[in-house]
Amino acid sequence: MNVTPEQVEPARIEKAVTDFLSRLDKLVDGFDAQTSLYADGAGLDSLETAELSAVLEDEFGTDPFSCDEMPETLADIVVFYGAVKV
Amino acid sequence: MIELLRRVAVEDPARVAIVTHDRSVTYADLLASAEAAASELVADEVTRFAALSHQADVMIALLAGASSVGVEMCQYPPVSEAEVAELAWRFDHDLIIDEPRSSPRWADGEGRAGADAADPVHRPDRPHLVLTTGTTGAPRGVRHDWSRLLRSTRRVRPAPGQRWLLAYGLHQFAGLQVLLHVFAAGATLVAPAPRRPVEGLAAMRGLGVTHASATPTYWRFLLAELRADGGPTPELQQITLGGEAIPAPLLSQIRTAFPDAEVSQVYAASEFGATGSVRDRRSGLSTEVLARGEDADVAMKVVDGELWVRSRIGMLGYYGEDPVDADAWRPTGDLVEMTDDRILFRGRSSEIVNVGGVKVHPLPIEERVGAVAGVDMARAFGRPNPMTGSIVAVEIVPVPGADIDQIKTAVREACKDLDAAARPRSIRFVDHVTTSGDKIIRRAQ
Repeated sequence: MNVTPEQVEPARIEKAVTDFLSRLDKLVDGFDAQTSLYADGAGLDSLETAELSAVLEDEFGTDPFSCDEMPETLADIVVFYGAVKV
Repeated sequence: MIELLRRVAVEDPARVAIVTHDRSVTYADLLASAEAAASELVADEVTRFAALSHQADVMIALLAGASSVGVEMCQYPPVSEAEVAELAWRFDHDLIIDEPRSSPRWADGEGRAGADAADPVHRPDRPHLVLTTGTTGAPRGVRHDWSRLLRSTRRVRPAPGQRWLLAYGLHQFAGLQVLLHVFAAGATLVAPAPRRPVEGLAAMRGLGVTHASATPTYWRFLLAELRADGGPTPELQQITLGGEAIPAPLLSQIRTAFPDAEVSQVYAASEFGATGSVRDRRSGLSTEVLARGEDADVAMKVVDGELWVRSRIGMLGYYGEDPVDADAWRPTGDLVEMTDDRILFRGRSSEIVNVGGVKVHPLPIEERVGAVAGVDMARAFGRPNPMTGSIVAVEIVPVPGADIDQIKTAVREACKDLDAAARPRSIRFVDHVTTSGDKIIRRAQ
């Protein structure tokens, strides 16, 4: 599904990411935009990160993990969708 | 092939050979058409040609006629005009017969002087060309010889009462196998047009089909049609599956839907021919096939998880390439697993999904997903991913009215004990799964 930039609101991105983490039982206490998605935070492994990239691509039409700099946090993902022109 | 028609035409000329949606053709009439076609091919000095029409009775007469006079026929699949031109270029076809009973179309656009019809002559070489589906690249031409193809009919017993559904295209090797079996048995071919499952089901009900051979994907669609329309279940005596791996849940569904039918599985391919059939209603092949010995027409062995075949009834070789040695072993591309007394198919080597360096077979995943309540049909395949190269993805056709969130949860639950790399990481709901030649496409995309 391709979307226009104004549709990719931070709240939608946050919901997609936290829903995903909840399903994997990895929404740690105190999770916020600056919490690492990986070892010291939510603890996503490589396959779970691959799955998150597919979830985001399905939801928003493009995938922040395909860009040069891999997102570390929810904030990075929000920045990606804020900058990208889909 | 014409000798099969001739044998029945002499014995019982009025026996019906082919039934289509609008006509019946007797063995005598089919033989006469085949002999007329043979005469015309000889008179026009044709040595090889491509055929486009898919009108069964006309094409079968042409096929039998060509086979009797050593003219190489190649039935093209139903494709666009541009693709026909591409195939003609690739396989050097100067002559294309597009419509039945019309003038042949020569690729150079020139006419040919009509010679007087001549008596068919019998030639030592009786070639036939079958095109592969080209699902993993450009189609290849598989060269056969009728003398080899007919060897597989030696064990067919007469069965004039059988009415076989033609669910395959005549351009497919499996369609050719059905033709040979039907005419060797002196049975009747029921050829609906088009040949989709919905028309196949109608032909089963309305045209007295007793036997049907099709791919597992075709049977999945046919079962869905049967459930959807609520009409009577056809009274089939035999169901044959082949052409792709057969999931155990599908076998179970077929047994439930057709409790009185014999169920057989055929393992065959354009390249090595038919290897025989399995009738024990269990998935896979018996390991007994690995002990057939040197004298067998077809022998099999397993090498590093892949099935290899040595076939003396298989192809002569690929078009444009050197002939193959009939006594040489060849990999089939079918990945198998040995469990107790069975050889179970795990998918094609071209379908393996590489998930971060871990090789995953999509077929067992597809079987699990297909068995989940609310799933009408499923397809597992590799989806490109920037993190791991690929992930396992599934597409699901849900049963009408099913709750897709519940299905997603149930699919994840059904797959949670799989290796982490094999668990579906992408689940999508679709109206139809991608198929080619009535087979599910599982290669990475």
